[in-house]
Amino acid sequence: MGKEVTAEQALSAANEIVNDVSDFGDAVKAEVRHHTGGRRKHAYVYIEVVASEWRELALWLKKSKQVDYCSMITGIHWPENTDASWQVVVHLLRTGVVNPPVVKKRIHETKVDIGALFGNSVPMEFEISMTLPDMRDPSVPSVSDIWVGADWNEKETWDLVGIEFEGHVGMRRVLLPHDSPTGYHPLQKQHKLRYHDYNEMYDDPQGFGRKPEDSGRVK
Amino acid sequence: MTEDIINMRGWVRTAMDFVSENTIGMSRHWEYTDSVAWFLTEFMMCVMVFGGIMTTLLVLLWMERKLLGRFMDRRGARTSLRSLWVGENGVTAGEWWTQLPFGTGIPIGMLNKALNEIAGNDHKLEAVSRVKNRSYHGVWWLLPGFFQNLADGMKFLTKEHMVPEKADRYVFEIAPFLIIATTVMCFTFIPLGPNFHSNNSEMSILFLMAVFSVAPLGVFFAGWSSNNKYTLLGGIRSAAQLTAYEIPLLVTVLSVVVLSGSFNLIEVIEFQVDSGVWNIFLLPLGAVLFIVVMVAEVERIPFDMPEAEAELVEGWWTEYGGMRWGLMFASEYLRTYAACLLFAHFFLGGWEAPFEDTIPFIHYIPHITWVFLKAWFIFIFFVWFRAALHRVRTDQILEFGWRWLLPLSLVNLAMATVLRLWVYDGVKEEWPILVPILITSISLALFVLLSIDEDPKALEAQTRPFSVQTVDVASPGQHRK
Amino acid sequence: MAEMWISMGPQHPMTHGLWTLKVKVDGETVVDTEPDLGYIHRGVEKICEARDFTQITTYCDRLCYASANTWSHAYIYAAEDLLDVEVPERAEYIRMVAVELQRIASHLMWLGAYCPDVGNLTGMVWCLREREMMMDLLQELGGSRMHYNFPRVGGVKRDLPIGFAMRCRAKLKLFLDRIQEYEALLDESTIFLIRTQGVGYAKAEEMINHGVSGPNVRAAGHNYDVRWAHPYSVYDELDWEPSVERPSIKGSDCYDRYRVRVEEMRQSASMVLEGLDKMPGGSETYHEPGDPAILAKVRERAAEGKTGYHHFEDSRGESMFYLVGGGEKRGKHPYRVSIRSPMFITIPYAAKCMIGYKIADIPAIMGSFDPCIGETDR
Repeated sequence: MGKEVTAEQALSAANEIVNDVSDFGDAVKAEVRHHTGGRRKHAYVYIEVVASEWRELALWLKKSKQVDYCSMITGIHWPENTDASWQVVVHLLRTGVVNPPVVKKRIHETKVDIGALFGNSVPMEFEISMTLPDMRDPSVPSVSDIWVGADWNEKETWDLVGIEFEGHVGMRRVLLPHDSPTGYHPLQKQHKLRYHDYNEMYDDPQGFGRKPEDSGRVK
Repeated sequence: MTEDIINMRGWVRTAMDFVSENTIGMSRHWEYTDSVAWFLTEFMMCVMVFGGIMTTLLVLLWMERKLLGRFMDRRGARTSLRSLWVGENGVTAGEWWTQLPFGTGIPIGMLNKALNEIAGNDHKLEAVSRVKNRSYHGVWWLLPGFFQNLADGMKFLTKEHMVPEKADRYVFEIAPFLIIATTVMCFTFIPLGPNFHSNNSEMSILFLMAVFSVAPLGVFFAGWSSNNKYTLLGGIRSAAQLTAYEIPLLVTVLSVVVLSGSFNLIEVIEFQVDSGVWNIFLLPLGAVLFIVVMVAEVERIPFDMPEAEAELVEGWWTEYGGMRWGLMFASEYLRTYAACLLFAHFFLGGWEAPFEDTIPFIHYIPHITWVFLKAWFIFIFFVWFRAALHRVRTDQILEFGWRWLLPLSLVNLAMATVLRLWVYDGVKEEWPILVPILITSISLALFVLLSIDEDPKALEAQTRPFSVQTVDVASPGQHRK
Repeated sequence: MAEMWISMGPQHPMTHGLWTLKVKVDGETVVDTEPDLGYIHRGVEKICEARDFTQITTYCDRLCYASANTWSHAYIYAAEDLLDVEVPERAEYIRMVAVELQRIASHLMWLGAYCPDVGNLTGMVWCLREREMMMDLLQELGGSRMHYNFPRVGGVKRDLPIGFAMRCRAKLKLFLDRIQEYEALLDESTIFLIRTQGVGYAKAEEMINHGVSGPNVRAAGHNYDVRWAHPYSVYDELDWEPSVERPSIKGSDCYDRYRVRVEEMRQSASMVLEGLDKMPGGSETYHEPGDPAILAKVRERAAEGKTGYHHFEDSRGESMFYLVGGGEKRGKHPYRVSIRSPMFITIPYAAKCMIGYKIADIPAIMGSFDPCIGETDR
């Protein structure tokens, strides 16, 4: 019994997924990528998908590939990139968690035989990326009914980045105050932190450099 | 009556007779001399009992603090004070007494060293020293922190009195006084010694129980009038819980009354003294019931649902502040104290010293000592419960009260009746000596047997370290299927 | 009886932090719940965009005040994935020791907070007492008591101090004895059992679908653990198995979640002890500050449009950092930092979990999921 998922297991499982994704045609581009840092360069699946196809892909992943866990949904704002101004990145995991089996009217905990994992049972990471052109109301389909864990991730993404999720029920502010102004999403890049100009809060927190407006003028 | 070297009531009566004779007795209303002396005696005794209770209440608070500190393996505020000169790993940051002028600090240093060596903790059992030897080297018998509660009281007095805007102001203000007044009234009939009581009424136990059960009304008033959801829930919980536990309490007390044949608390004690056996050896079940019910009545852990601070912030007294809060807090302890004193009187022979007849010269110790020592000893159990147990849920409390305590208290009453009617030797006016021995040993054996609640089958099947596993309804003894 | 909403929080003993749980109750029964977060939202993700890769570690420490080291390590592994940095083996061992000690400290903090939730203060004091030992050990590593700022991109801040292994072994040995004290206080107490057993059922598959992971899932009977599923660090060289509980048919209750954390503390302690034995010698634990091999990569990788992320087994579940390089000042800063907080996803689930139970069960259920609001609000 292995102690952890080996690189070979991960690679073959990732290859299998990437091969099967090709059924979707041009809308979905998948490739096997490898982690680079650390001691292990495990493979993971990277998928680029057109936003309109995302829901179908998600259903397929859930049904055929047993992807059961939505780790993170996040959005990125690329204002300089007009044809891909918004990006939504979804991280999914295939965990293979099942309810513990009942044997002879007794519950038995599941202890996975890691060395014997293959195919759809290998834990796998998915990074899924969607890009949207420059628009006022970026929007992608919601998957919160497929993975309930996506619910609050989508709320957060809308709250902070301003990407809407079609079909999401009960969208609301989660991290910002409920009375934040409409259209205020702080992780959009037009809200500067200290990029170009002098920022009092970070560059001069003590206020030593502050001068009265009429300084230097003859009074 | 038991002989006591402190004949407090007699002394007061003598003094008041003297006062009365020399004032009223000399006037034209001389026929009232005796009544005035009687009134003054009662008044003085009330004041003295009240003073005695209030003064020794500090001991309760102090005991709770110190015992909890010991149970929880921690030290109080004194640790930080001592750390002025006792540093980490025993390294002193600077012995301040050496810096005093003209060597005036030398005796302090010597005294400190001597005290630490002779009577300081050996800090082998202390967690603090296990962790980092940031230890408490103090002397425990200096009663550190004894007057902390006075300081707390002073602090409460300085606080602003705030009433929530939408509270029902009159009820809100009346509620604490209702609770406190009825609590203090309990002590009217609790004797502190054979000649140290404010009143010797024939129906004192009845009155005590009646007064003791007025407080829930005040609690409910407080919870309702604060106009706060937490206090409302706390008040309702309190009302439900106190009602549920009032009945087993009364039935248990009734069993003591049946056994002793009197509603007079002093006569109950006298009966125990005369018959030679304390009630706890005859009614161990009653004693256990009484202490359990009393823990619920005074709302301490594990039965402190009305003020469960984890979910109801501070329960029914959330909205109170300042001295009203302090008084309600004090009234909790007063009720606890009343419970402890009542336990001592009902079950531990009141003021009688242990083996009073056999140990020579023990009757030279004033009997008031034994009353307080027994009450404090019982209070140790209250603190122990608090340190060791968790909070029970509302429905579990009520279930426990109605389904277990009420039937058990009826069984106890039946036992008391049987004992009194058929076992008690009315001619010699004492108990056959075999009876308490038999009852006590059987009860101890039962206690040990019932304490072993581990289910070996469940242990085997579950590979869990301990016993109880359930499927849906959590109740002890049932293991998971 | 009429139903009413109770707003528990933002300052309430049950919340373990600043947030509001709105509870709709029917008498004493919970009918509906709605969590409301964001009271201590600091905007860490935005702040990190103006910080370079070494400065961000400091902010990650402050994500969770009970479990600082695991969060900074979660970030460091993601940053190393982005920057393609190799780590000396000794440094990996030291990181493992630091993370597992922090996991023990975090679980102790949890247990210490859980005991008052079910009404016992003794457990809290005992747990904090043992937590002191872990804090002292971590202080030796990181230099401060709470926010260690210990890992570095490509290593750790400094090598183990002299005599660390000896003190660590002694304290862990003592700690393993102390765990039995907790079990005597909690498992042998019937009141604790009736308060926690049969309360707050949660099933494994449902939890995974809701995005709940870590000890909560292991309590429900599956030994899923990021440490073997998406391996990192040196866990393959240690002899360990994730602790897993045997739940009831209805799912794991609060008692299972308590047990799994106690077992995990044992597990982590034995991992640290074993790691100290197996740790390779040498002094190479970090890349020099300003190592050109790393600095050059920051810009190089950013130009390639690389991203880095890493799933990490935090003490509360799976945490993750997602880094996009190539921010302002030619890639010295990340362009976007995204943080996956396990409790942000778990709190809504825990709030759903308590529907149908009593008000008194709210702290018991919520506490059993180990909420930490610092990371939740970020």
